[in-house]
Amino acid sequence: MTAMTESAVTSRRGVGPWRWAGRIFLVFIVGFTVMPMIWMFITSLKTGFAAMQYPPQWWPAEPTLENYWKLLDPSGSVGRDFVQYFWNSMWVSILTTILAVAVAVPAAYAFSRFRFPGRNFLFFAVLLRNMFPAVVFLVPLFILMRLLGLVNTHGSLILTYLTFGLPLAIWLLKGFYDNIPIQLEQAARIDGATRFQAFFLIVMPLSTPGIIATSIYSFIGAWNEYIYAYTFLTRHDQMTLPVGIQRFFSENATDWPGLMAATFMMSIPVVVLFLILQRYFVRALTEGAVKH
Amino acid sequence: MSSVQGQAIFRDVPEPAPKRPNIGQRMWASRADYLYVAPAIVVMLIVIAYPIYYTIELSFFNTPASLSLANKQFNGLDNYVTILSSPIFWKVTWQTVVWTVLSTILAFLLGLGCALALHREFAGRAMLRGLLLIPWVVSAVAASYVWKWLYHSDFGAIGALVVQLGLSDKPINFVDNTTTALYSLIVVNVWKEFSFAMIMLMAGLQTVPDTLLRAAQVDGASPWQRFWHVTFPHLRGVSTVTVLLLVVQNFNSFIIPFIMTGGGPVGSTQIWITHIYELAFLRQRWGVGAAYAVLLFIIMMTLGYFYVRALTRGDDQRAGA
Repeated sequence: MTAMTESAVTSRRGVGPWRWAGRIFLVFIVGFTVMPMIWMFITSLKTGFAAMQYPPQWWPAEPTLENYWKLLDPSGSVGRDFVQYFWNSMWVSILTTILAVAVAVPAAYAFSRFRFPGRNFLFFAVLLRNMFPAVVFLVPLFILMRLLGLVNTHGSLILTYLTFGLPLAIWLLKGFYDNIPIQLEQAARIDGATRFQAFFLIVMPLSTPGIIATSIYSFIGAWNEYIYAYTFLTRHDQMTLPVGIQRFFSENATDWPGLMAATFMMSIPVVVLFLILQRYFVRALTEGAVKH
Repeated sequence: MSSVQGQAIFRDVPEPAPKRPNIGQRMWASRADYLYVAPAIVVMLIVIAYPIYYTIELSFFNTPASLSLANKQFNGLDNYVTILSSPIFWKVTWQTVVWTVLSTILAFLLGLGCALALHREFAGRAMLRGLLLIPWVVSAVAASYVWKWLYHSDFGAIGALVVQLGLSDKPINFVDNTTTALYSLIVVNVWKEFSFAMIMLMAGLQTVPDTLLRAAQVDGASPWQRFWHVTFPHLRGVSTVTVLLLVVQNFNSFIIPFIMTGGGPVGSTQIWITHIYELAFLRQRWGVGAAYAVLLFIIMMTLGYFYVRALTRGDDQRAGA
């Protein structure tokens, strides 16, 4: 706290032009960041006719929520598909998150606390997975799913989403466990707790922020995933949102306002989740890279 | 070896034991530990080790378009020779380098600028940080569609804006143009990921001791000198990790080029990953696609080596302190 006020005092002297440069830069960068999202929203309020005009209407002459009603109305064909895609995405993302966290918690704990042979090798093997793109796993995983009879099921997605969800979850959680003092468990053990009790009663409650952060990560990763869903699913009723919205709007001429409304709706869950839990999210990401 | 054991005894650390039992005994002794990692390892073996093994195998075979594995034929290094002797390989590789290097540099610099501008406490700082992070959180699919619409050759907002500002007399065709397409996509990519660099560097800035900055100021250092001689050296560790992660991420990009241009026009936005996808899934040349993937593994393992080294160097410093 004192450090904070000190730095505020320090930077108040002799940095006028730099401060202004910083402000101008921030205004520019916020514009760059926000404009595309605002344009997405403005377009989603237009009719198809209003969107296809040059020069564009910077604000729609007759704003309408028609595109949103179409997406959410389950009696229309567009709405039926969209709502189906939405729940498919929800279901796949939630199940992936639960599985990833359930498997990652004990593994991350072991990597943080125990010194078994092969620990470093296994941990870095886990970490290195994050360096490989999904595409190079596509063919073999496709063959594997064919073998397991999982093509065109959500099982294939959940299983493959663990390829990126699990390593990330293990890495994030290990960062959290590393920061929980081992003395707490040692004290519990001295008081007669078993290793499992010490873990469940002492470490688990303390690592709740880590578990929340890891869950958000897994959820967002699964929600946004595109390549596997695009390759493994061909049946319409199984598709998740990123693939689904593409199928529907590019068949004939693209309905841009409809597409923008759909991408807006698709972004809402992750953005809301992220803004509410931003604190955990940011901390988890930087935990591993910056040592405290 | 002996010095390591000597230290272990000296510090009275229970493991590694003074006279190390052999690996089998040690593994048996810590068998309970493996229970914790077993589920993770089993999943990883199925969905990661098996595919890697399979990709390497496929890269030495000629597999029919139907992907019927019973009919695959061994063809040695033919797939690799095909790749390296193809002019497309060099074109795609050059485009991948441009894409990766430019995206990384721009994302890092924008991220650094934001991190410095947001370092000082002020009202609304957390909100601004959240706002800037949104592109990183939304799906690349959504981002690609939005930017595709912004770049639209007839009704795109950017083209219209360029005309209204008097920079051109008619809307510019950004994406359907072989000279500008790749750079237009790089802008999208930078938009999507610069805040990742920002958040890493913001965390890094917190490790810069205020007392050092104050001391430098007392000694009459200008803001630029303070940044260059005090702040920046402290950011070196985080910067290395951030740049490596950005390079990996950019090298592995797929969604933005795939959705926005599909590699076109005339292959001008084709990068490694989209090219691999095209070879395997659109042209059913499974063997060549797999061989590309193996080359990619090698590049990624090299980067991975530096990544692990950058991470563990921090560990060693901490252990030494």
